[in-house]
Amino acid sequence: MTKIDLDARELEHPKPLEISMKILHNLDDASYLYMVHRKNPVPLLDFAKGLDLQTVCKEDAQHTWHILISPNQDIDLQTYLSPEAFGV
Amino acid sequence: MFSQNGLSLDQAPPLSVVFRFFFLGSLFGIVAGVLIFLYQTEIFDASSTAALTLTHVFTLGVMLSFMFASLFQMLPVISGVKLTSPVKRANLLLYPFTLGVITLLLGFNFSTIDWFFPLSGLLLGGSLFAIIIPMLLKLFKIENHSASSKGMSVALLFLGFVVLFALYLLAALSGYIEGSYYTQIKMAHYSFGLFGWIAVLIISISFQVIEMFYVTPAYPELISRYLPWGLFSLLLLSSVLALFYPLLWNLTELLLIAILTLYALLTLKRLTQRKRPLTDATVWFWRIGLSSLIISMLSIGMTLLTDIVFFKPLSYIFFASFALSIVFAMFYKIVPFLTWFHLNSQGYFTAPMMHEVIHPKTAKKHLYIHLATIITFCLSLLFAPLIFLAGTLTILSFGWLSYQIIHAHLLYKKTQKTGEKFEMGNMG
Repeated sequence: MTKIDLDARELEHPKPLEISMKILHNLDDASYLYMVHRKNPVPLLDFAKGLDLQTVCKEDAQHTWHILISPNQDIDLQTYLSPEAFGV
Repeated sequence: MFSQNGLSLDQAPPLSVVFRFFFLGSLFGIVAGVLIFLYQTEIFDASSTAALTLTHVFTLGVMLSFMFASLFQMLPVISGVKLTSPVKRANLLLYPFTLGVITLLLGFNFSTIDWFFPLSGLLLGGSLFAIIIPMLLKLFKIENHSASSKGMSVALLFLGFVVLFALYLLAALSGYIEGSYYTQIKMAHYSFGLFGWIAVLIISISFQVIEMFYVTPAYPELISRYLPWGLFSLLLLSSVLALFYPLLWNLTELLLIAILTLYALLTLKRLTQRKRPLTDATVWFWRIGLSSLIISMLSIGMTLLTDIVFFKPLSYIFFASFALSIVFAMFYKIVPFLTWFHLNSQGYFTAPMMHEVIHPKTAKKHLYIHLATIITFCLSLLFAPLIFLAGTLTILSFGWLSYQIIHAHLLYKKTQKTGEKFEMGNMG
C-alpha cells in the first residue's frame, strides 16, 4: 500500500481540509492517506464516508489526531496506524 | 468550519442564507457612503441627526447584517446548534429587519411623520426577537459549552437588551410613554450595543478563530472563560446603578478601556506567536482592527481627562474601524471557504479552489482601500473637504465587498450548472 503523508498540524485552517480533499479524489485501492492533525477533522471524515471510503481516526497521548483514509475496503486500516498513535 | 468537532456536512446552513446577509450588509455600507456625502462632517457631532443616522446604518444595517451572516454560519459549527428551516428563518428576519432599519432612519430624519418610530419598533423588535430568542434557547440547552459558544450566548443576551432599550427609547420618542429614564436608557443602549453586543461577539469568536485560523497558542482560560460574563455583569450592574448615580458610567468606561485594551494587546501578541508566520490580508485586517480598538479606547480615556474635542470623533472612527476590520477579516475567510466547501460536499470535482473564489490579492486590495478610508476619515477632522473622499472610499469599500459576494454566488451557480460530479456514494 502506498502511504500519502500529510502533516497538517501547523497548517492554517482550512488548508488541511482543502489539501486532504484533493488527495482523497486521487486515491486508489493501493493507496491511503495518513494525516496528522491538531483537531478531529469531522468535515473530512464526513466527506470520506460520503465517498464510501474506509476511515480510521485516533487521538494519541499528545492530543494529535491520526487519520487514515483509503478506498480499499478489504484492508484493515488500523494496522497501518503508526506507533506514535499508540504513544510508543 | 471552526470547532473542535468541525462542520458536519448536514449541519452547514445553505450558502444563500449566509450570502444574503453579507450582501445586505454591503448594500447598507454603500448607503452609509452616500449619506456621508449628504451629512458631511456633521457626522462627527454625536448629538446631531447625521451622527444618529450614520451610527445606526453602520451598527444595525452593516454590522448586524454581517454578524447575523456569521451567526447563521457559526452557531451550528461552534456550538452544534442547528436552526430548523434556516432559509425561512433568514427571510423572516431579513425583510422586516431591512424595512425596520429603513423606517428607523426615516424616523430620525423626518420627525414630523409620527408613524415611522412605532413601525420601526414593531418591525425591528419583532424580527430581532424572533431570531434572538430561539438562538438563545438553543444555546442555553448546550451541556458542554466552549468559550466561544458561551461568549456568543452573552453577546446575544446583550443584543436582546439593546433591542429592549431601543424599544423603550422609540416608545418615548413616539410619545407612548413618558420616558423618565430616557437619558440613562440611552446610555445603556449605546454601551450595551457597542461594548456588549459588538465587542463581546467579536471577542467570543476570536477565542475560536485566532487559534484555528492562524495556529496560535490558545487564549488563557481565565480570559476565555470569564471575559464575556465579566463584561456582561459590569455593564448590567452599571446600567442599574447609573439610574441612581449617573456619574458611575465614568468609572465603568475606565474599566472597559482597561479590559478591552488588554484583550486587544493579548490578541496582537497571539498573532505574533503564529507557528507559520505567513501573512495574508486577513491577518492585517485583524491587526488593524485590534490596533483601532486600542486607539478608540485611549481616545475615550482622553475625553474623560481632557476637553479636547478631537478625541471624541476619533474614538467613533476607530471603534467603527475595529468592528469593520474584523468583520472584513471574517468575510474573506468565510466566503471562499463556504463556496468551495458546499460545492465539494455536493461532489463537484470541478469546484473552484478557495483562492479562485476570492483571490488573496483581491483581499489585499480591499485592505488598502480600507486603510485609506480610515486615514481619510481621520484627516477630514482637520480638513473638512476630505470627508467627500472618505465617503467615496466607503462606497468603494462596500462596493468591493458586494462584488465579491456576487462573484462567489455566480461561480457557485455556474459550477452547479456545468460542473462535473464524483460518484458520491450515500452523499446527498
